[in-house]
Amino acid sequence: MAASPVFPFMPGGAADGTRLPSGAVMLTDLTGGFRFGLKGGGSAGWLASQGVPLPAVNRLGSWRGTRVLRLGNEDILLLADGADSTLAELASTWHGATAPKGYSSWREEGWAWMRVSGPQAPRAMERLCALDLRADKFSAEDIAQTRVGHIEAVMVRSQAGFDVLFDVTASAYFARTVAAAARHCTDLLIDTEGHT
Amino acid sequence: MKILTCPMNGPRNIDEFQSFGPVRAEPDPDRTADTDWSRHLFRAENRRGIVVEWWRHVPSNYFFLAERDLVTNEIIRTFDASERRAQS
Repeated sequence: MAASPVFPFMPGGAADGTRLPSGAVMLTDLTGGFRFGLKGGGSAGWLASQGVPLPAVNRLGSWRGTRVLRLGNEDILLLADGADSTLAELASTWHGATAPKGYSSWREEGWAWMRVSGPQAPRAMERLCALDLRADKFSAEDIAQTRVGHIEAVMVRSQAGFDVLFDVTASAYFARTVAAAARHCTDLLIDTEGHT
Repeated sequence: MKILTCPMNGPRNIDEFQSFGPVRAEPDPDRTADTDWSRHLFRAENRRGIVVEWWRHVPSNYFFLAERDLVTNEIIRTFDASERRAQS
C-alpha cells in the first residue's frame, strides 16, 4: 500500500504533504473519523441517562457499535468506528439537552487519531512507548494515558494494532517519529515517500 | 528511569509528571496578621522530613497527592485527593 498523507486540517499548514509510513509498520490517519467527547460535571450522568454503559476509568467499553473510552470520572470519549449516525444522533441530542450535561471536549478538532499497524507494529511501539504493551499486560479493554513518541497521548488496542490520540498540532511530528522508530526496529522497507 | 505510581494510571516514568509543590495551609486573609500573611505568600519552608505534595499526571491531567521524604527523595505513597478530604 502506498504511503498516505496526513489528514489536512489546513492546506499549506505544517502537516500538509507529510507522508505516513507504510509497510511493515504502517500509520493510518483516522483524524477525519467521527468522535464525540464530553468532560466536566454531569458528563457521566448524562451519558448514562442515554443508555451508554460506562466502563471504569481507563477501561474501554462499547455502545451500539461505538467504542466508549472512560478517560476520567467525568471525561468520556466515544469513537464512532463506522457507527457515525448513532454517534451523530447522540451528539445532536446532547446539543439540545439542558444542563447538567458536561461540556464538549472538542476531541474531533483538538486531537489527531492515528493507527499504528502492520506486522512490526509491536516492535515499533516498544521504541515509542515506555509501557509494557504485551497482550497479557495491556489488554484490548485497557486504556493507556501516557507518552507515545514523547508526546502526551491516549492509546488503546485496535484489531489491527494500536490507536493513538494526541494533540493534532503534532501530527507531522508523530508521523516522522513513527517512521524513524520503524526504520530502527526493522530491516524491512518502510515507505514514507509514497512509492507503491 | 525513576518510576512514580499514579493512583489512577499506575506506575509511570517520572517524566510524565509535574510537581505542584507542597500542600499548604489556607489561612483566611481577613483573619491573618500581616506578618503571617506575608510569610504565607513569600516564604517557603525548607525543612527535613516528610512532605505531602500536589502532583499532576500530565497525559491524563489528573491531580493527586504524594508523600515524599525530603532527605532521601523517596516517594512513600501516592493517593487520590479525596482521601485527604476524607481525613480532614
